[in-house]
Amino acid sequence: MKPPRVLIAIMGLDQHEVGAMAAARILRDAGMEVIYSGRFNMPPSVARTAVDEDVDIIGLSCHSWEYLYYVDELLDLLRAEGSDIPVVVGGSVVTPADEQDLVSRGVAACFGPTSTPDGMVAAIQGLADQRAAAGA
Amino acid sequence: MSDQRIPVQPVYTPDDLDGFDYEEKLGDPGQFPFTRGPRPPGARTGWIQRELSGEGGPAHANQQLKYLLSHGQMGIDVIGDAPTVGYIDPDHPLARHAVGTTGVSLCCLDDYRELYRDLPLDEITLSHSLPPVFQVAALHTVALERGISPARIRGSVIQAPYYCEDCSYAVHMPFELRLRLAADSIAFCATEMPKFHAFVEDTYYISEGGLDGVEEMALGFVELRGIVRELLSRGIDVDQFAPRIAILVNCRMDFFEEIAKIRATRRLYARMMRDEFGAEDPRSLAVNVSAHTSGLSLTAQQPANNIVRGTAQALALALAGVQALEVSTFDEAYRTPSEEAHMVGLRTQQILQLESRVTEVADPLGGSYFVESLTDEMEERIWSMVQEIEALGDPADLSDSGWFRRIFDEAAERYSRAIGDGSLPKVGVNVHTIPADQDRLLRDVSERKIEPFRDRIDQVAAYRRSRDNTAVQAALEALFESARDRKANLMPPVIEATKAGATMGEMAGVMRMAYGKPADPYGAVPPPIAAKVTP
Repeated sequence: MKPPRVLIAIMGLDQHEVGAMAAARILRDAGMEVIYSGRFNMPPSVARTAVDEDVDIIGLSCHSWEYLYYVDELLDLLRAEGSDIPVVVGGSVVTPADEQDLVSRGVAACFGPTSTPDGMVAAIQGLADQRAAAGA
Repeated sequence: MSDQRIPVQPVYTPDDLDGFDYEEKLGDPGQFPFTRGPRPPGARTGWIQRELSGEGGPAHANQQLKYLLSHGQMGIDVIGDAPTVGYIDPDHPLARHAVGTTGVSLCCLDDYRELYRDLPLDEITLSHSLPPVFQVAALHTVALERGISPARIRGSVIQAPYYCEDCSYAVHMPFELRLRLAADSIAFCATEMPKFHAFVEDTYYISEGGLDGVEEMALGFVELRGIVRELLSRGIDVDQFAPRIAILVNCRMDFFEEIAKIRATRRLYARMMRDEFGAEDPRSLAVNVSAHTSGLSLTAQQPANNIVRGTAQALALALAGVQALEVSTFDEAYRTPSEEAHMVGLRTQQILQLESRVTEVADPLGGSYFVESLTDEMEERIWSMVQEIEALGDPADLSDSGWFRRIFDEAAERYSRAIGDGSLPKVGVNVHTIPADQDRLLRDVSERKIEPFRDRIDQVAAYRRSRDNTAVQAALEALFESARDRKANLMPPVIEATKAGATMGEMAGVMRMAYGKPADPYGAVPPPIAAKVTP
């Protein structure tokens, strides 16, 4: 099976990039293909890139709270495109309460400060497998 | 090794300081080469205690500052939110969800009037992690409005021209313009605000991605030296600006290494300013060092542990003899400081200063076999890295080509690997962990969120409609013309535009245009003046 393709992005004016780079490296080390779009993204460009690049997962890295507001817009845009690409969110600022809230809003998985690299890789692989099995 | 830490011996003896010359290496505090501190013993004990703050709109931030001052803070230390430090106005589409959440939102003169309202501008020190040119223009103007001579104002603002695009302060300006603005604001303050440290070399922010102490100071010296050369090339005498250079450093958990780093920095700086740049005024040779304790070293797990980390780091800084410090607060992993966390940070400093007696003796570790050996080692490593980088050529090319960027990226990767594989122990993270459901102490306050201050968006939009837009346009045109004249100092036209009511985003926009760049780097708002065809 092909390795998952993952788009990693940071939203809005959140300039902290260390976590995004670490996540990209961990996923690459696990054999995944990472499309790294770095800082200063907005939902329309992320949705566009994800669809055009035919990625299996969108990963938002966050170190500010801006993503909390951009997530809904991104999910709406994906739905409008007829896309079922799962969106996952990672960052040290993501609390258990955030996780509950985000999952209820349609985020596929969250990785907070206590998440492990192995756990993140397994979760993302699982989501990609699930989507492949559903025939996407 | 995890973060390239300097190897140490189990014990140090007189053999390690064979041939050590006190006068050459140390001198008394206040004496060349100032290793033991910039001031004579007894001149002033302790440090300026302040906590980095800024949240919401300027009126809200003003309340925060008053709260801290009412609890014994000795000066203010203000940081802007993400739009502000990125030269973006709050009503820009990208700023929408970031207004006031990671610092204070400031974009025009009215905002600074609010920020400084009722503060005794000439009695406390005013430190800023804000866009230097715009902050200096506004403070200068507000002081005059209030009948206070700008020449009496003490404080500081950080300069970050070399590395801002690579480490969290991207302003989307070409290197040449960034360096020019740094030099313009420093040159302006050297005559107009001579007590204000407009030249703070900020090595804190560049090292927060995981750089070690040697990389931090080497990159810092490279930038500092570049700005000094720029000022000298304008014919400004070194002793006119050098007395107001300060260095804002990071302090991680590597206790003695951080102390040695600061002592080595003072010595390197003194020799460099005297021997290389020809400074003669003793104040030009004795650099003030201030510090923030490392936010990166703090953890989301067991936030109370961060109070212990902050205390250890603040103790290191007290022993190193810094002139001012800020303790990164226990909720740092989640947010900019809450009121509760601010209080603990301030109290940490006050307890150290008032109860521990550690500041009664200047440079108490001076003469330690270990600390002096480590200071020598740090000095050698920092200086050799400076030489290596400068041998590579034009820093503008190194910046544009991503060479600097690669250092930051590699350090970040090295750090995350070290945490991941446990080679850098982090209590509560990769050793001595507890289950999340037991990790409750200080958790609720740490995780409490604030909403973006979106009221600011409409307020700023309304402000744009209410001001004299003809005057604003004229002032922006004048700023554009000055920016195209590569020899002009941009402070006077920035002050005029500020007084006319222009916003920071507009002023930054016309400067970018003068350098052939789009006014809005994100392509979302129209240029503030009609596009010019460059002849």
